[in-house]
Amino acid sequence: MNIEYLFIVIAIMSAATFATRLPPFVLFSGRGQHPLLQFIAKYTPPMVMTILVVYMLKSVDYLSAEGFYAAIALIVTIGTHLWRRNALLSIVAGTVTFMALVQGWF
Amino acid sequence: MIRAALKTTLPIFFGYLPLGIAFGLLFQELGYPWYFATLMGICIYAGAAQFMAVGLLAAGAGFVEIAIATFFLNSRHIFYGLALLNSFGDWGLRKLYLIFGLTDEVYSLMSTIEVPEGADKPQFYFLMTIFSQSYWILGCTLGAWAGTKLVFNTQGMEFAATALFTVLLIEQWIKVRKPLPFIIALIASAIALLLFAQHMLLFAISLSLIMMMLLRATNQKVRDEY
Repeated sequence: MNIEYLFIVIAIMSAATFATRLPPFVLFSGRGQHPLLQFIAKYTPPMVMTILVVYMLKSVDYLSAEGFYAAIALIVTIGTHLWRRNALLSIVAGTVTFMALVQGWF
Repeated sequence: MIRAALKTTLPIFFGYLPLGIAFGLLFQELGYPWYFATLMGICIYAGAAQFMAVGLLAAGAGFVEIAIATFFLNSRHIFYGLALLNSFGDWGLRKLYLIFGLTDEVYSLMSTIEVPEGADKPQFYFLMTIFSQSYWILGCTLGAWAGTKLVFNTQGMEFAATALFTVLLIEQWIKVRKPLPFIIALIASAIALLLFAQHMLLFAISLSLIMMMLLRATNQKVRDEY
């Protein structure tokens, strides 16, 4: 336990994290109307969202009970969203389903 | 507007609270006072990096190594700003805070949802960001301070993040209605998983963006339709 070391590590990690979020705003400030940047702005979100979903699902062991629970919870999430299109409702429904299955509420 | 921002960010609450608690629990095993977990949630505010920090702190890693590891772990965030260049105006210090708080979850929400009718955009974005960070700080603190005494079982709550990204993926599909970016992202994910599973996010995002731009540069049909 070394408080001084911890303070420096926190300072370094804060700066390094901010350094990954700041560059586009500095490098391209005022050039957001450029056609290529608009193209990137439009198609990055759908690609990132697809990749984030794959990323979240990749660590699930599909041969275990948890994989089965995750599949059920995912179906509940998607089904609820297609049915009501209420983001909060879909997320709560899917999460509660998963928690109920994993914790064995039934 | 506060209510609207709370409602919009509530899914992030369900995701950040258990993740923050998990971090806090891990952190307190290092033997530092609990409020340093709070401080890390305030200053660093990056989930994966804070989990990595526990390992680095335990190992007594060098400062240069820590700086490089953190930068690479979070470097996908560089692409997030690109998608929000036109969304953020010249809002001074508030804008700096929005950039500081651009996590996976906040970026996903901001790039997908519309600001409610009649709401002041900078104010709404600011509330979204500060609420989200508050949830994270709360989780980190709870985990480090009372983690072992927690009565409520949060096991499985982490699925909220998966559900959030899934819902936003559906919303992106409704918004974009063209298959190409989704297909490219799937291909890039598969390649990244096969070749660079450790840094899957960064490689998949970079690769899909490069593929998309290459297609735009070389294919007339893509240029016309996208």
